[in-house]
Amino acid sequence: MIADFVASWALFRDAYLVGWLIAVVLALQGIFVVARDQIFIGAAVSQAAALGISLGMVIGSAFSEAPIDPYHAHDSLSAAAIAAAIAAAVLSTNESPRHSFEAVTGWVFLFASSTSILLLAHSPHGLEEIHHLLSSSIIGATPADVGWFAALAAIAIAIVSLKRDALTLYMMDPPVAAALGVPAHRWSRLLAVSLGTTVGLSMRSSGLLYSFGCLVLPPLIATQICRESRSLFAVAPVVALLTAVAGFVVANRFDFPPAQMTVALQSVLLTLAWISGGIRHSVRRTAYSVRDEKP
Amino acid sequence: MSRLSGHPHGPTEVGGCSADVSDANAPLLRIDDAAIGFGTRPVLEHVDLEIAPGQVWFFLGRNGVGKTTLVRAILGEIAPRVGSVRLFCDRGEIGFIPQESRLNRNLPTTIAEFVGLGLVGTRHPRAERGERLQWALSHTGLTGMDGDSYWSLSGGQRQRAAIARALIRKPRLLVLDEPTSNLDVTAEGDLLDVIEELQGRHRVATVFVTHKIELAQRHATHVALFRRGRVRPGRAEDLLRREILDETFERRGAGAADGAAHDR
Repeated sequence: MIADFVASWALFRDAYLVGWLIAVVLALQGIFVVARDQIFIGAAVSQAAALGISLGMVIGSAFSEAPIDPYHAHDSLSAAAIAAAIAAAVLSTNESPRHSFEAVTGWVFLFASSTSILLLAHSPHGLEEIHHLLSSSIIGATPADVGWFAALAAIAIAIVSLKRDALTLYMMDPPVAAALGVPAHRWSRLLAVSLGTTVGLSMRSSGLLYSFGCLVLPPLIATQICRESRSLFAVAPVVALLTAVAGFVVANRFDFPPAQMTVALQSVLLTLAWISGGIRHSVRRTAYSVRDEKP
Repeated sequence: MSRLSGHPHGPTEVGGCSADVSDANAPLLRIDDAAIGFGTRPVLEHVDLEIAPGQVWFFLGRNGVGKTTLVRAILGEIAPRVGSVRLFCDRGEIGFIPQESRLNRNLPTTIAEFVGLGLVGTRHPRAERGERLQWALSHTGLTGMDGDSYWSLSGGQRQRAAIARALIRKPRLLVLDEPTSNLDVTAEGDLLDVIEELQGRHRVATVFVTHKIELAQRHATHVALFRRGRVRPGRAEDLLRREILDETFERRGAGAADGAAHDR
């Protein structure tokens, strides 16, 4: 199995590297999404990125006589820009008494889902491309993409290393973090924009399922494994990386799509983590009740 | 001295304790003719307040009169539009206890981690952090529980953990924003015992935001009464009188102030 994978390395190196880097970056950002119970922001922002890609293709075709080129750079940029703007707007509704967060997230998902298809309904190549992205049936990348995502991963890891305790407090208890001098509002805006940008860029390379899966599943697995929240920043990206590597190797061996294989693997792991977490919780409750009953 | 003054985005000076602190009774906080609020409209105007070590201040008033707004100004989260809010100690020497910790149950945390995060924004060697943790836990009756999950604690114990998280900074000024609103009588008594001990043994100044007049009557040395955008500060024995409290809570008739005590 490993030999098969190594043999495919020369052909798919960039796709593999980008897939793994995306998993690491999204898992780090997904910790905040999971911490705030805003799981579906990932799906909504990914879908908004698909709308951005559709828009990029339409605008690109308007200025060119050539057929729509699904790998044009401006698609990625428009996807990232729209996803970042949507993420910032959706996350800011958290503070609005007029609209619930769930309502706005649902609206974004549905609006972006419908319009991303409608925009390309009369462009067979573009429509096919969007369908590929929504189903994550391909992972495509260039050496430039590897560079971009390596830079994003390096920045994310550096920030987490330098500010881990402050980020942990901000994630756990924003009002107290603000009272202790953490610029919580500024961090929230930065997080929204960086989340949208990363999801927007990753959508172009890996599609909706893989982006959404890597955003929420590794952090959810990490919450079941870790005893302290600060450990999530180490465990979630490691889980994401290991499952992505395993998913790609298995997918390569049995000729399955790698994104689906990775997300399925992560989902199975999360199920196992829930089961073992439930067992540990029961054992601990028993231990506490025995301790409390002792005279 | 830390100073927030003038403009909403005006200059903020943050530094160590000023020379004034050499005097044990020198104020920790002084607010001079400040207007505080959000956007274009101030919530509070002409606020004058001075808090010295060992004083226990209760902020009393109806809902929405600006008690929490003033707390946020004291914590440095918002700057006064005019006037000044001056802090005569380091921000690291302020402890804050919110009404409740709205932690997501999905997040794993131990008592040691939860309390230790109170040191965010300060710099201490690892050994000292450990010593401070044990000191904070011992003052809140949580000794020996540092490795336990936060989620295994009862509501009262969680509030104790929140107090320990504030105490780990060894605060000279402790700010509590309605900390007893979700506590039963026993847990509330425990919390106030801790505050009295801090005041007596360590001369920690306390700002306690609450609706409960009976708590102020028992524990306050000073009160600040909030009404219609104004703050009336003074000694507890001067201000905790029925006619003044009736006016503050805008109630009429005998026993109104007692009724206000239960206005939650």
